[in-house]
Amino acid sequence: MIFRNLPVPTSVRERVTPRHLVAFGLGWLALFFVLPILVLVWQSLGIGTGEPLSAYQQALSGLYLWTIVRSFYYGIATTIVTLALAYAFSYFVVFWTSMKNLFLILVVLPLWIAYIIRYLGIQLFFSPTGPFVDLFGTDFGFLFSTRGVILGMTIAYLPFAILPIYNSMNAIDRDHIHASRVLGAGSLRTVYSVVFPLSLSGIVAAGLIVFILSSGSFLAPAVLGSSENFMIANMIERSYTELFNIELAAALSVIYTIILLALIAVFNSYVNLGEVFENI
Amino acid sequence: MLEITNLTKYYGDHLAVEDLSFSIEEGDFATLLGPSGCGKSTTLRTIAGLIEPTEGTITLRGEDVTNLPPDQRNIGMVFQSSALFPHMTVKENLAYGLKMHGLDDEVDTRVSEYLDLVEMSGYEDHKTTELSGGQQRRVSIARALAYEPDILLLDEPLTGLDRVLREQIRNEIKQIQREINVTTLFVTHDQQEALSLSNQIIVLNNGQKEQEGTPESLYEHPKNRFVAEFVGKSSRFTGQPDDTKPSVIQNGSLTFAVDPESIPDTSPNTDGADVTLYVRPEDVVIDTSSTFQNEFDATVSHIADVGSHSEIELELEDGTPVLVEAERFPDLSVGEQTTVGFDPEDVIVL
Repeated sequence: MIFRNLPVPTSVRERVTPRHLVAFGLGWLALFFVLPILVLVWQSLGIGTGEPLSAYQQALSGLYLWTIVRSFYYGIATTIVTLALAYAFSYFVVFWTSMKNLFLILVVLPLWIAYIIRYLGIQLFFSPTGPFVDLFGTDFGFLFSTRGVILGMTIAYLPFAILPIYNSMNAIDRDHIHASRVLGAGSLRTVYSVVFPLSLSGIVAAGLIVFILSSGSFLAPAVLGSSENFMIANMIERSYTELFNIELAAALSVIYTIILLALIAVFNSYVNLGEVFENI
Repeated sequence: MLEITNLTKYYGDHLAVEDLSFSIEEGDFATLLGPSGCGKSTTLRTIAGLIEPTEGTITLRGEDVTNLPPDQRNIGMVFQSSALFPHMTVKENLAYGLKMHGLDDEVDTRVSEYLDLVEMSGYEDHKTTELSGGQQRRVSIARALAYEPDILLLDEPLTGLDRVLREQIRNEIKQIQREINVTTLFVTHDQQEALSLSNQIIVLNNGQKEQEGTPESLYEHPKNRFVAEFVGKSSRFTGQPDDTKPSVIQNGSLTFAVDPESIPDTSPNTDGADVTLYVRPEDVVIDTSSTFQNEFDATVSHIADVGSHSEIELELEDGTPVLVEAERFPDLSVGEQTTVGFDPEDVIVL
């Protein structure tokens, strides 16, 4: 059936069915995704070490707990700033310029460059010998600080926010905007009552993507932050490669994933995500 | 009431509307009629304030509104696509315009009043995306009228509806307009809609006004060939005026008798310039026994019964088609030889 129009020997045709192809895909996923996670969860429990669940105790106390809180705090802050920038940019591209394609290329272009290069670029830009300090005489605390990490993530994840927002905004029928104006609404009121609600699905999708990416960011705090700005990914990496504490690294991963999924579930109860992703 | 003076609109190098002037009186139903791309929608949107004119002025109720934003013009507009807000209910759509006009206190009464007017009572809480095409047009009309605008603009509001629904909503629009006597400007490419709805028609072509007048005057006295061919059906002949007989137009073997006063001055009678003759289908008679000044042998080539009457197409000896509107189920068959006749007074000479 699958090979209907292809010159495939009958023997193969009879033996390979769509079921086999599905099995291959699912098998791949099971082998390299589900199985490793199960191993990771098993490791985190620390069964047989004499102190089961001690890694969870450690992960939920002191420095580690603060890192988890910081990760989601950075994630939320980055999401808010990124959405604001992406919305303004999309609005400009959709309604103000005739060179849409040029601006969209400019949005996608940075994705061709590795994150590490872009973060190092920002680091150099704010460094004491860089152009920013040359111009203003100070880096305004942007280097190796909270604002530096959030700035870096904002820049890195902006394209992922612009694309869905641009899409949903560009899909708005211009006559809805015209109708609003003729019905007596000024341009600001039209943005608030018509453009914003009709592009909300793009905003929600963009927010979710940026929040997930930034909460789990590893490179931004590593390059643009100090040890005081470490996020969960940095802690996991350090526990694993420096402290050789596999149980702790695994426990941190499990806790992080559960909190992230719980936050998305809570969010989903307010906004129907299934509907949102259908509308993009 | 509404006065357009020397309106010109360029899109880059493209001239969309050229030096257009017309005016509409209070309570009139006027139509901008023309083929697609003639500038009728551009004109309408300029009046609404959605497009800035390159030149010219728009006066509404004696006030120059040319530079006013759309929200300060007190205009009602029905869009081709309905343009109902998909994130609002029917009631919220109507309430939007009412609130913007400071009528917050009257939302409930006006919503029920105007939904009643378009026969959509009971749909207040429906989502607009759940409505059928016809229902959406009705709600859209109610939304445009609820705050009692000075003028109602309709931009091809019947596009995309099937024939029966088109006629039904067309009649409703006319009835509503009579009932509340709102000054209306309608845009369409459909001459039938224009003829049946309006008391004033402005025919546009290539951004210019071809003719302006009542449906009757456009149909019976078109000023030029474009209007004659665009408004209503007709049979079309060409020929040369005869120097010696001013009431005769010659075309090879065919001789047409016309009213000599109807020959326009712009087509000189002398140098054999071509003129075009138009005869409306209802003015042509198929009858072998009667005597007309214009009588020709013809062959029936097509018979279409459209219900109330039949549209018959015949061919003259030289192959020129002739359209006739006849009684239903005529005693004719395709290929039959017969004669057609019409009076000189019914010939439009252009």
